[in-house]
Amino acid sequence: MDIQRLKPHFPWITLLVLVTIVGIADPSFLKPANLLSLAGDIVPLFIMALGLTFAIYIGGIDLSAQSMANMITVVASVYLAPLGIWVAALCILAGFTLGTLSGYLTTRMYVPSFISTLAVGGICFSVAQWLSGNRALNMDATQRNETFGWMIGRTGIVPHELFIAIGLLAICLLIERRTVLGRALKAVGAGELAAAASGLNVARYKILAFAISGGLAAVAGLLFSVKLSGGAPTIANGFLLPAIVAVLVGGTPLTGGVGGVLNTAIGTLIVAVIRASMLYFGIAATQQQMVFGLVLIAAIALTIDRSKLRTVK
Amino acid sequence: MPRILTRENAIRWAPFMVLLALIVLFTAINPSFLSQRNFARIAIAAAPALMVAVGVTFIIVMGSIDLSMEGVVSLTAVLFCFLMLALGGTLASGGWVAIPVILAVGAAIGLVNGFIHVKLKIPSFMASLALGFVGTGAAILLTGGDIVKFNDPTFRALLTWRILGFPLMVYVAGLCLVLAWFIQSHTRLGRYFYAVGGGEELAHASGVRVQHVRMAGFSLAGFFYAIAAILQVAKLGQAESVTGSNFMFMSITSVVVGGVALWGGIGGVWNTLVGVLIVAVINNGMVVIGLPDFLQAAVLGLLVIIAVILSTDRRAVAFVK
Repeated sequence: MDIQRLKPHFPWITLLVLVTIVGIADPSFLKPANLLSLAGDIVPLFIMALGLTFAIYIGGIDLSAQSMANMITVVASVYLAPLGIWVAALCILAGFTLGTLSGYLTTRMYVPSFISTLAVGGICFSVAQWLSGNRALNMDATQRNETFGWMIGRTGIVPHELFIAIGLLAICLLIERRTVLGRALKAVGAGELAAAASGLNVARYKILAFAISGGLAAVAGLLFSVKLSGGAPTIANGFLLPAIVAVLVGGTPLTGGVGGVLNTAIGTLIVAVIRASMLYFGIAATQQQMVFGLVLIAAIALTIDRSKLRTVK
Repeated sequence: MPRILTRENAIRWAPFMVLLALIVLFTAINPSFLSQRNFARIAIAAAPALMVAVGVTFIIVMGSIDLSMEGVVSLTAVLFCFLMLALGGTLASGGWVAIPVILAVGAAIGLVNGFIHVKLKIPSFMASLALGFVGTGAAILLTGGDIVKFNDPTFRALLTWRILGFPLMVYVAGLCLVLAWFIQSHTRLGRYFYAVGGGEELAHASGVRVQHVRMAGFSLAGFFYAIAAILQVAKLGQAESVTGSNFMFMSITSVVVGGVALWGGIGGVWNTLVGVLIVAVINNGMVVIGLPDFLQAAVLGLLVIIAVILSTDRRAVAFVK
């Protein structure tokens, strides 16, 4: 059996192996209720990773996702009272617009995406600090429950976040597999120069990819603020690393072109299981960042397509 | 007659002109900006940032990028405090040993960074970002999230002992800058950085051992991050896992705004000095003229975008990721 043919199957095999190991060590881990609540807790992270997938799929990166989510928690907390349900539209629009800005800077102004998104992240941070007055904000509990209560309840043992996650995954899967946009993004990820040479409007599709990334980071921030019933300019710090890890361990390499949103779903579950198992095996929360940093290095090294990089800068 | 107003000259002198214009602008709005006390304040804020920025300058000149500085500065700062306390808690009682040890640790972390980047062939921005996360994680692990106080008066003389109104750490940073300039301009390694940045394949073909140069560059950067960590501890009298926060955005903005091209091969440590001063003057000036400090991140963001756009020769770039 050829290792290259096995490679696409690594993510779900990893997931199964991890679940089995943790399940043997702690049988109560495998109870459906536990697994479902574990999956429910990771949904904001999953949505952010879903967006990041688009940026990474075309060979870019979106380092603004975390600042974006931070800003949106503040926006949602501030404008829930006057706008009601429409605050969701405002949040998604803000994310989409700032993502478009990152994409525009990257494609039309030739600013590498890690710099442009870092800069847009700086803008988000300023807006968040300005709107919040640098304080932690709380939503009005009754209004939150009336407006967004449906997002965070439970039906039986199934957390409602999971329905949102599955809905968004389905939409993204549809975009990726069944639309011109999805095809175009694959072409750009597989070989940007060739895609441009065959007449594709590469810049437009790349901008869209960053816009989707920004929009989904905003949804992640919105859901997170609803869950916490509040927002603050640094509340979502700690999301970026596991989100990037989720995309990469899922099998979408940094060089883009292969993998996709379904891979990210598996990758996010791997992250969730790693987190849960670290708690079970007595690795304190403070050590998680280190572990994820190392997992990230390993995941990149295993997935990256070196034939696409003539010189590695 | 040679043309003075060429694109090259404009790009070379623009950062310096911007710095002068900013000083004039802030002084015009609030004359107390132009005082020796305020300049000392700017210099203290800029000294550790300059060391981080000088470190990353070498990397950017090679056409790579290093995003590990936050983690490395936090980790070395925390390690430095622990080591100092373990060695007696004062500089005089043998604690000075901690300084060379921490500089070596910084260089070693940089070497690991370079190794991951070069040998595993991972693009530097991602390899270093991941390693930065590991560094911050290690700092959290060591401190358990607490603050490590370190208040040896001899060591704090770096901040408290003033010569001509400027504290000692400003002169230390100045000396290190000269060291960096020497490495850049008068050593083979420095020239190799430019060779790799100017065209990696050409450099390789002319016999430069590109992989070694890259690893040496990252190691050197780690060394300068460790200097920054020591100065930061001197400035704050403590270390914690967030000691290095904000250095990433600030240092890369400084380097790029100073006129070091992200594509490699252009600019050097003097550009970085100007860039760091621009950023420090803006941060300080905004406070002096009474603008709210939440604007800083956005201003830095806009600044770095404008600088990259202006410094990019669009004809030379096929596409960017």
